[in-house]
Amino acid sequence: MARLILVFNKKVIRDYPFIKESMTVGRNEENDMVIDNLAVSGFHARIDRTGDTYILTDLQSTNGTFVNDRKIISYKLQHKDKITIGKHMVFFAMSQEEQAKAKKTKVDRTMILDTAKHKDLLAKEAEKKGIDIAAQKEKIGVISFIDSSDHGEIKLSKKLTKIGKAETSEIRLRGFLMPPTAATISRRPNGYAITSTSGTKVKVNNQLIKESHYLKDFDTIKIASYKFQFYTRESENEK
Amino acid sequence: MKITAASLTDTGLQREANEDCFAMDNSTGLYVVADGMGGHLAGEIASKVAVKIIKKTVNHWITKNSPEDELFDFPDSTLSRKGNYILSSIKLANRVIYEMSREYTEYKGMGTTIGVLGIMPSSVIAANVGDSRIYLIRGGTIELLSKEHSMVTEQLELGLISQEEAKNSPLKHVLTRNLGSLVTVDVDVFEIEPMNNDRFLLCTDGLTDLVSDNEILSAIKNGDNPEHLCQQLVSEANERGGHDNITVSLIFVNKQDDERQGIIRKFWYLFKK
Repeated sequence: MARLILVFNKKVIRDYPFIKESMTVGRNEENDMVIDNLAVSGFHARIDRTGDTYILTDLQSTNGTFVNDRKIISYKLQHKDKITIGKHMVFFAMSQEEQAKAKKTKVDRTMILDTAKHKDLLAKEAEKKGIDIAAQKEKIGVISFIDSSDHGEIKLSKKLTKIGKAETSEIRLRGFLMPPTAATISRRPNGYAITSTSGTKVKVNNQLIKESHYLKDFDTIKIASYKFQFYTRESENEK
Repeated sequence: MKITAASLTDTGLQREANEDCFAMDNSTGLYVVADGMGGHLAGEIASKVAVKIIKKTVNHWITKNSPEDELFDFPDSTLSRKGNYILSSIKLANRVIYEMSREYTEYKGMGTTIGVLGIMPSSVIAANVGDSRIYLIRGGTIELLSKEHSMVTEQLELGLISQEEAKNSPLKHVLTRNLGSLVTVDVDVFEIEPMNNDRFLLCTDGLTDLVSDNEILSAIKNGDNPEHLCQQLVSEANERGGHDNITVSLIFVNKQDDERQGIIRKFWYLFKK
């Protein structure tokens, strides 16, 4: 059986055995663990037992719940965790039997965090480290033709941009030997990648590419007599 | 285009139930994996419902060649029509799970991750929500075609923590998006051109928690039989503890025939001239 040890000012106030399926902590007298202090919300946090695991959930308390000095929304408790609620501390202790089991199972349940809270958490963390999240804008790729064709600049707004003779291509190139799709540029998790198709010779910075190639700013791409440059710029919120 | 594929799901060694779910359909080229969450049996329901809805609606829209404006929610103009089918089906599944979890107390708080791969002749579409992954193995390299919607990944992307801190973070399993918890969902969708010998892996975190990208790459690079490879990957995860449900879907693409046809067509074209 696990225990919760309530501590205030380095003094043990009370030792609570975990005998129910779930225990609540708060200022209200209906709680299993009552902490009479203004820093504690009426119903501040709850601990649920599911099998051998204990999950601590903050009940949207005003001052938050912390485990080992980190603010939590929902947390799987481990032996010797220190929970901070207001100015009080609650130590979580498992029985030896449970510790042994926990070591063996170590179940990492997936949890979901609600959007508003996670944005909040990230923003706070960023502020602490002095990083400006708002300045990190999404970038969009652009290709700019530097040959004699009159294509000019084309924004790569599609996830997959097809380049070739076919009418369905986003970027149409001419030429007798030009295949319907000569190359594609795809927007992937790590950036933009160009892929040559139908065995077309595609050169990036004068190097023939094999299959896919990630594009960097100001790479020059050559397909037949066409030549264009790739670069990224901050998107104007057009998604 | 010829596709050979295999899928396998396993409860793992430490969970009582399998909350993962998958679907594969070689005729339409649609592959789905889902990792359900939420107490009791709700996680199982969420992943099943999601997989079923996505499979059904995408197939229906493909057969009818439905225009974009007939789909659920607004289409995304950066995607192809089939990309929009997949996007819309995921949004629909999200809404259904969301409404179910509000309607019935036993389903409260249920949700699921999703990974969808559509191998269409014109493009390969990869879409995901949560931490189920989609990998592309091409020319001896492995590449993620999915985004991870977890607290740790977001911290990492914003430069708040280092790679090393991310690895050991207690927030590894805290998702920032899933299907079912909000009335609408943001889906990451990517499209690429299919190439001959492309290999794709869809999997849940039961695999990727325990088997690294490089190990996955070397296994898939050196195997020929998707069925055996699925078995091999699942066994590997189980040998390392199998702490979660494990689901893998492997898809091998062979486009050689198409290319040959292309060359014949070109010659024919020359003849006609």
